[in-house]
Amino acid sequence: MDLRKVGAVRRPLKKTSPSWRRRCAAVGVGGAALLLSACSPNVHRGYLPHGVTKNSNDVIDFWLSTWYWALAVGVLVWGLMLWCMVRYRRKKSDTGFPVQMQYNVPLEILYTVVPVFMVAVLFGKTVGLENKLLDAEPKPDVTINVVGKQWSWDFNYVEAKTYDTGIMADMKAGKKGAEAALPTLYLPVNSRVEFKLTTRDVIHTFWVPQFLQKMDMIPSKVNRFAIDTTEEGTFKGKCAELCGAYHSQMLFNVKVVSKAQFNQHMADLKKQGKSGFLSNSLNRSSVMPQDQQYLPEGVRASDIVKEGK
Amino acid sequence: MASVATPATGLTERPEERRPEDFHAGRTVVKWITTTDHKVIGNLYFITSFMFFLLGGLMALIIRAELWSPGLQVVDNPEQFNQLFTMHGTVMLLMFATPLFSGFANALMPLQIGAPDVAFPRLNMFAYWLYLFGSLIAVGGFLTPQGAASFGWFAYAPLSSTTYSPGLGGNLWVYGLALTGFASIMGAVNFVTTIVCMRAPGMTMFRMSIFTWTVLITSILVLLVFPVLAAALFGLGLDRTMNAHVFDSETAGAMLWQHMFWFFGHPEVYIIALPFFGIISEVLPVFSRKPIFGYKTLVFATIAIAALSVSVWAHHMYATGQVLLPFFAVMTMLIAVPTGVKFFNWVGTMWGGSLSFETPMLWALGFLATFLFGGLTGVILASPALDFHLSDSYFVVAHFHYVVFGTVVFAMFAGYYFWWPKFTGRMLNETLGKIHFWLLFIGFHLTFLVQHVLGVWGMPRRYADYLPEDGFQMLNQVSTAGSFLLGASMLPFLYNVFITWRKAPLVTEDDPWGFGASLEWATSCPPPRHNFNSIPRIRSERPAFDLHHPEVGVFSVLPSQETSDQLDRKGSHA
Repeated sequence: MDLRKVGAVRRPLKKTSPSWRRRCAAVGVGGAALLLSACSPNVHRGYLPHGVTKNSNDVIDFWLSTWYWALAVGVLVWGLMLWCMVRYRRKKSDTGFPVQMQYNVPLEILYTVVPVFMVAVLFGKTVGLENKLLDAEPKPDVTINVVGKQWSWDFNYVEAKTYDTGIMADMKAGKKGAEAALPTLYLPVNSRVEFKLTTRDVIHTFWVPQFLQKMDMIPSKVNRFAIDTTEEGTFKGKCAELCGAYHSQMLFNVKVVSKAQFNQHMADLKKQGKSGFLSNSLNRSSVMPQDQQYLPEGVRASDIVKEGK
Repeated sequence: MASVATPATGLTERPEERRPEDFHAGRTVVKWITTTDHKVIGNLYFITSFMFFLLGGLMALIIRAELWSPGLQVVDNPEQFNQLFTMHGTVMLLMFATPLFSGFANALMPLQIGAPDVAFPRLNMFAYWLYLFGSLIAVGGFLTPQGAASFGWFAYAPLSSTTYSPGLGGNLWVYGLALTGFASIMGAVNFVTTIVCMRAPGMTMFRMSIFTWTVLITSILVLLVFPVLAAALFGLGLDRTMNAHVFDSETAGAMLWQHMFWFFGHPEVYIIALPFFGIISEVLPVFSRKPIFGYKTLVFATIAIAALSVSVWAHHMYATGQVLLPFFAVMTMLIAVPTGVKFFNWVGTMWGGSLSFETPMLWALGFLATFLFGGLTGVILASPALDFHLSDSYFVVAHFHYVVFGTVVFAMFAGYYFWWPKFTGRMLNETLGKIHFWLLFIGFHLTFLVQHVLGVWGMPRRYADYLPEDGFQMLNQVSTAGSFLLGASMLPFLYNVFITWRKAPLVTEDDPWGFGASLEWATSCPPPRHNFNSIPRIRSERPAFDLHHPEVGVFSVLPSQETSDQLDRKGSHA
């Protein structure tokens, strides 16, 4: 059905002048070039940080394909709007009214039904990937109970029976060098690492941007997720849920190192006297009974701070 | 019983009495604080909410200035920064956007259905006063020794308890908001009753303007969710002031609060979106010189959005690890469908029209362009697999500003420029309006587009400070520069309001735009005390258009192809 039908206002398609078009193209190309040159290593993963877990590539692929679809829809609708603005612009000389078209039922059904299918596909892909990201099945090589506290982190290395503890970042008044003093979470490379997330006080969120996933630490609850480390390096970690005045100083480092270095670090911690755990019995609200089972022995609420083996 | 004389509806003020030099401040104040006239109350809502808009904007500028570079330069300590973003969010959502809905609903809805006033004029006024004083109480936290609330506008337990956030500011926040919540509830009761009971003869439900439809559906949403907010706030208030244990962590209070808050909080987003979609649906047809395309699908899409919006709250909680992800994901994604329907209907309204670009139309198009992008990032955020990375980052900040600013502010200005003659009897200046639009449009996109990238790179929201090593500085500076441009765009608007109040001639026609459709364009600018001296026949969803352009009515039923061809041939011969 021709939507335009007949109308009092009707005229041939307005041609935009070539110079105008050239200018538009120049601005577009210039803008794109600026974007690309400023951050070219970013672009092929859609500005996501370089992922360092086994699932990273899946997340990046999914992110990119969702954006392609989203932008396709966006370009279609922006294009239709621009088309209307250019094609149906009322000229000074125009009088009268266009056809007072109000309905086009087949078209309306079309643009209701097609998006439902698009949503169905997006949903299907989402469920697959989120199940992968939250998969708790394969047994972890290393379990770490990360405990958030205002405004830093405690790390209980469960298998090694040792711990590390941090204080909030000294921001050095905007100068470089704050990261050296941050608490550092060590992880062995090519291993499956499970994080058991708890908090001493308010809600915090455990976020290592390069893991491409985060999870909250809820008072009296135990949350968990696992990753497979794939490469060595030092990565930034942050608290992502507002937790009080010094929220932005609740920073940490993650060091993914070889297994030998990891074991060495565990031994070093013990040498420093950090044997045993900073158990969850130190939390200001105790872990709920039904969540106790998720905590490994030694860090449960009923356990006291253990010294030595 | 005492008999009440019917007020003469024709008793309008004579135009010469409204010259600025005859403006008596004292008389006006007395008239305004004692009024029960829905139009005056609408104006009070407009003025008050705009003041809060400016206040919230000022806080945003301080926030942006602080984020210009690493280190604390503008605020004294991060606690002050937390107060600023907490109150920025609270003010913008609950003291600006939500009351602005009440403002537009008050000012327009009775006119659009041909009613002399709202159903409960005194309740209406009471609601306004609750809103004003509730808001002042919450903002008054800044005057207390420890400052205003600083636990974020969603006040997550247990951070919002006195253990972690002592101080009077938090208490004032809780009880102040409880008061404004009741204002919204009373307003909604009023709007629903008015729409159901007070429509003029001929104004069937399916002849109501789209804006009135959105007022009805929004009010129903308010009635569903604001009581939940009130319950949550009273629980928190009891915890804070009477040592109750409603939101104790050990009895899962942290999650209980999040569920209660977001059960309100998500529909709240639609409470401040739907009426503004309604405004856009009023503006586009007038400047396209066509009826709204797919009137009924628009109504059903609005109902569908409202229905879905009460079943998606936990998408704010994907990262809590405590919610059923697939359910909330699919419901959230489904909202894209009716929202898409609205978009195509808006495009369909322009399609084949005869478009002119007066300021209201410019703002409406600015809304379409901006909100579309917010909608697209919304679909991305709806996917938990991606939200695990994006949640609580600047990507979310950028997303909801595209959605909420794109809707509320763009549509508010569309509405202001469009209905200014109806509210005040004077037109706003077109040139100043266009300067205003372009400054704001460019400022807005400069501020928020780059924030998507910041978030994806890993900048968490609500950070008072970041490290130089993070590499966030350049984009933060772009954003801050944009925000000041955005702030500056208010100056031409305020000047416009002032200068047209002093200088602009009074509007003499009922419909100064010439193509108005809904009933408010069939009465004077501004309307008389009880709105209409006479009500035109209402035989379609655009009674004013039928009244002013009876010759066009024939096109509402499309002629057959042969007839059109004949008409066409005749036209080309002429």
